Amino acid sequence: MDFSIIIDGLYTALQPINLMWLVIGAILGTIVGILPGLGPATGIAVLIPLTFGMEPISALILMAAIYYGALFGGSRSSILINTPGDGSSIAATFDGYPMTKKGQAGQAMSIAAIASLIGGVMAIFGFIFLAIPLAQFALNFGPAEYVMLFIFALSAVVALSMGNIAKGFLTMFIGLGISTIGVDLQSGVHRFTLDVPHLTDGIDFIVIIIGIYALGEVLYNMFNINKAKKPDQNIGSKWFTKEQWKKSLAPILRSGPIGFFLGILPGSGGTISSLLAYSTQKQIAKNKEEYGKGAVEGLVAPESANSSAAVGSMIPMLTMAIPGSGATAVMLGALIMIGIQPGPLLFENSPDLVWTLINSMFIGNIILVIINIAMVGMLVKVLHTPPKVLYPLVLVLSFLGAYTLGYSTVDFYILILAGVLGLLLRVLNYPVVPLILALIVGNDMEQNFMRATVIYDGPVSILFASPITIGLALLTILSLSYPLIIKLLGRRKKKDHPMTM
Amino acid sequence: MYIIRLSLPVLFIVASLIYAIMIFQLQPAMLGEPNAPRYFPLIICTGILIFSIVDLINMRKENIRQNEDLEMLSRKSTLKVVGIVLGFCLVYTLIFEHLGFLISTILFLGALLFYLNGLKHWILNLSVTIITAFTTWYTFSFLLEISLP
Repeated sequence: MDFSIIIDGLYTALQPINLMWLVIGAILGTIVGILPGLGPATGIAVLIPLTFGMEPISALILMAAIYYGALFGGSRSSILINTPGDGSSIAATFDGYPMTKKGQAGQAMSIAAIASLIGGVMAIFGFIFLAIPLAQFALNFGPAEYVMLFIFALSAVVALSMGNIAKGFLTMFIGLGISTIGVDLQSGVHRFTLDVPHLTDGIDFIVIIIGIYALGEVLYNMFNINKAKKPDQNIGSKWFTKEQWKKSLAPILRSGPIGFFLGILPGSGGTISSLLAYSTQKQIAKNKEEYGKGAVEGLVAPESANSSAAVGSMIPMLTMAIPGSGATAVMLGALIMIGIQPGPLLFENSPDLVWTLINSMFIGNIILVIINIAMVGMLVKVLHTPPKVLYPLVLVLSFLGAYTLGYSTVDFYILILAGVLGLLLRVLNYPVVPLILALIVGNDMEQNFMRATVIYDGPVSILFASPITIGLALLTILSLSYPLIIKLLGRRKKKDHPMTM
Repeated sequence: MYIIRLSLPVLFIVASLIYAIMIFQLQPAMLGEPNAPRYFPLIICTGILIFSIVDLINMRKENIRQNEDLEMLSRKSTLKVVGIVLGFCLVYTLIFEHLGFLISTILFLGALLFYLNGLKHWILNLSVTIITAFTTWYTFSFLLEISLP
């Protein structure tokens, strides 16, 4: 490994302008994460216009900082008012809020921040060792391998929408369908554009993402707009005790790798990672009865996993241009827009950019701990922002973001439709991530599919084009049978232990 | 409640049928295989149709009364709030390019704030509206050099 690139990356990350964007991103992300109902995907989506005109590396640093800042912030509202900022902070409510009820809110927030830091740093080392070999491996990919990779990624995302497989496939096909709008790049034929010139280039998937995540989220929050919770001002001591630290260290170190490896898988993201880390920690704990009543181990385990998963989910996004979560999907779109093309060549052509990002993630995690511990009092005040004022502001930023993408109000109509779709998908329990992922990879998938069918003389031959395609096909079968295996194991368990049910 | 639950699979079935008609109306490709632009959309169309029908069938197994969100959305009061907010969004879309960013945003944000936050907080509503509209306009037009109407 060439260490001079690492030092150069550190030097670039420490440039005052990049440090400034890092701090701004960390603060903005934390604030967005704290506000109930606004997760990292929404945060990055509505703040995309900020990156216009920026140096690509500064934009990448800003977006990454918003991402993990929102994860740090998300657990604040879980701990303080039992309302997670997004799915990945749900597990923090289990023991975080009971700690608040015991008068330990300050301690809960500070130890959760440390857990996130350690989880994040562990994952950064994982990133260094895994991302580069993975990017080098991906250089062997041709059209057939890419088609199979997209099919595997989509099937993994669908399979992870447990209990909703049919709905997962349905939203995936909807996403693919939307991606076919516009000029077909192979033949030049205009498809489904309804004679609207703005649709010739297709629908910008960021507009759909802003619609589903931001507008859909605002509409969903209208259900309970009069029942907003406010935190108690008295958070107790903000320094955790030696005993709490002793109890926390092992769960933090155990949960980091769980989060990291789950984060790499497309679609699993922070929610599954943190919930799995919590349940694993509970299963091996001696004091199971204390979980859910304010056990510090039950708070730090999901926090470490969540932060680790965030770094892990950037690996497929940067090495293969396949986002692992909603937030990385938004980042991917934004990166393409500002001229950074994620994929294996990114590591070959722009190692400086990759190493600056890695170094900035490291520095950013430390900055976030400082923000989250030192500014805890101020952060609590953010939760006093009335939702009736906040959501209209989010709406304005969403429209503004959509406009700046294509300078046309046609995108406003698409935004509104996507918002309504996002609301219905959420209320009716349809998974959104398959739609987003399909929307992003749809165009590339079609182009590679058409190229591969010409090269290999038909679609079936794609499956057997190389050992990589066979391996990916097997992984696809495995991921699709995963829910069935889980179901069968569950039934067997029920049969073996009928009394425990 | 059932109408809302039915809305998506039925909408997707209708969408897949319209999509199918549009696929057959596509111009053939001038170069290479004439039907090439139709193949991928046809696979997608089949997928949407099959899984919408499966979803419709699976609906019978669902206990939709246990879905709190659906129950909330089915309430007249919620539908009214969501409908009015969407109405404001639509009006904003219609006036945005005619009145320009500044005036249309003041009207849109002001209407939303007065509707959601009430007339009682008029000072807060007005100050948030004016400060936000001018700050974003200045930031985008001058600092980020993004031209707004």
